[in-house]
Amino acid sequence: MKNSFLFLLILYFVTKPALLLANEAEIWLEKEIDIILNAYQNENLPNENRFLMVEQTINNNFAGAGIAKFVVGKAWNSANKETKKDYIKHFKRHLALNIASMMQGYSHQKYSLINSRFDEKSKVTMIDMEIYSEASSIVVTWRLKESKNRFFVIDLLVADISLVVTKRSEFNSMLKTVDYNLSNFNEKLKSQNEKSYEKIIK
Amino acid sequence: MKIIKKKIFIFLFVVLSTNIYAAASDEVKTESQDYQTSGTDDEIYDPLEPINRAIFGFNNFADKIVLEPVAKGYKNIPTPIQSGISNFIGNLKMPLVIVNQLLQGQGKNAVESSGRFIVNSTVGLLGLVDVADKMGLEEKEEDFGQTLATWGLGDGFYIVLPLFGPSNLRDTTGMVLTYVSDPINAYAIREGEEWLLPLRTATNAVDQRSRIIDEVNALRNNSVDYYAAVRSSYYQNRKAAIDNTDDNILTPLPLISIEFE
Repeated sequence: MKNSFLFLLILYFVTKPALLLANEAEIWLEKEIDIILNAYQNENLPNENRFLMVEQTINNNFAGAGIAKFVVGKAWNSANKETKKDYIKHFKRHLALNIASMMQGYSHQKYSLINSRFDEKSKVTMIDMEIYSEASSIVVTWRLKESKNRFFVIDLLVADISLVVTKRSEFNSMLKTVDYNLSNFNEKLKSQNEKSYEKIIK
Repeated sequence: MKIIKKKIFIFLFVVLSTNIYAAASDEVKTESQDYQTSGTDDEIYDPLEPINRAIFGFNNFADKIVLEPVAKGYKNIPTPIQSGISNFIGNLKMPLVIVNQLLQGQGKNAVESSGRFIVNSTVGLLGLVDVADKMGLEEKEEDFGQTLATWGLGDGFYIVLPLFGPSNLRDTTGMVLTYVSDPINAYAIREGEEWLLPLRTATNAVDQRSRIIDEVNALRNNSVDYYAAVRSSYYQNRKAAIDNTDDNILTPLPLISIEFE
């Protein structure tokens, strides 16, 4: 009896921080998603301003520089400081454009956070968000990491497809054509961003 | 006094050093492990890449001028009709889903799928209404490609099939097996109604495409290499289907450092 009580007590203290963290992350994520959705719900907002709002929210909440470094793989090492800085700037815009583009079909769909869990090994919190449309629903999984007492989004999975892994594969394919030269790649990324931006604000 | 001065100096040095470190933390630090992935294959075996890219270009063109506009039109029809079509097509797949679940040793899933098929084919008006889902019999898809993978067969090389899109050697084999063993197809051929086969395939393609209009457009409009993005997405999606990952735990976790955010 005494042993079972002790076991339950230990179990409580071991699992409590993980549960608290997942719960805290859920509240934080819901707040940030609503900021983005509000930008889309306001139909009077010009597309340019809407995108800037989304970009700001993404820049504040995504681990943009970390993701940028990861997706460019081995090309990072050989680049100089200025090129890296330039690349991170272009990548952050690229990330915002990708997410804003996904949001373009938004038509007041409802969503709910259906499941959250904390992976002790990787220290990553995963939150499933179900987005409901009239005919079907889709699950988006957010992967968050805590740093300096706040959360950062490190990846987004739509139908089991990771945005970060896809970007890494895509960038790797393009980097091959420029001999893994980050400076040349920056030109291509910048040009793609300009094209995407034109479509977003249209 | 000297000791106090020394202590103040040490205190100031520590405090200022922390600020120096904080500023430094804004810079990106590089560690070799940052380039590694946890189980992610950066390189997909694609020896036919030039041919695949050409077929991909053709498919992309066909998608833009035919499939996407039809899928957008399909999305405008009343939701109950869309759901009915989707449920009907899904129900027709069930006999082969059950076979594949049995071949993969998923006895419990096969029993549930059989229950789904019986309930939806009868109470659900030939599969038009998904009554089984409301009874807790969830839809789980399995195909021959997944079965071959479960039996240990590797992906083989990547192939882009004309009109059918991304695949690999194993999944193409699975697709052929599906086509030749499907009882509904066999029935249509036996009855001399072969025209039903392409109609079924086309309806399925439109139904599937209508669900991912925004996602495909986001990928197409923002990719620096759309071909590579689709190839990676295909592999990730198939891997999750083969592993039957419901909670994304097994989906590779990128090693991302955020200490410099």
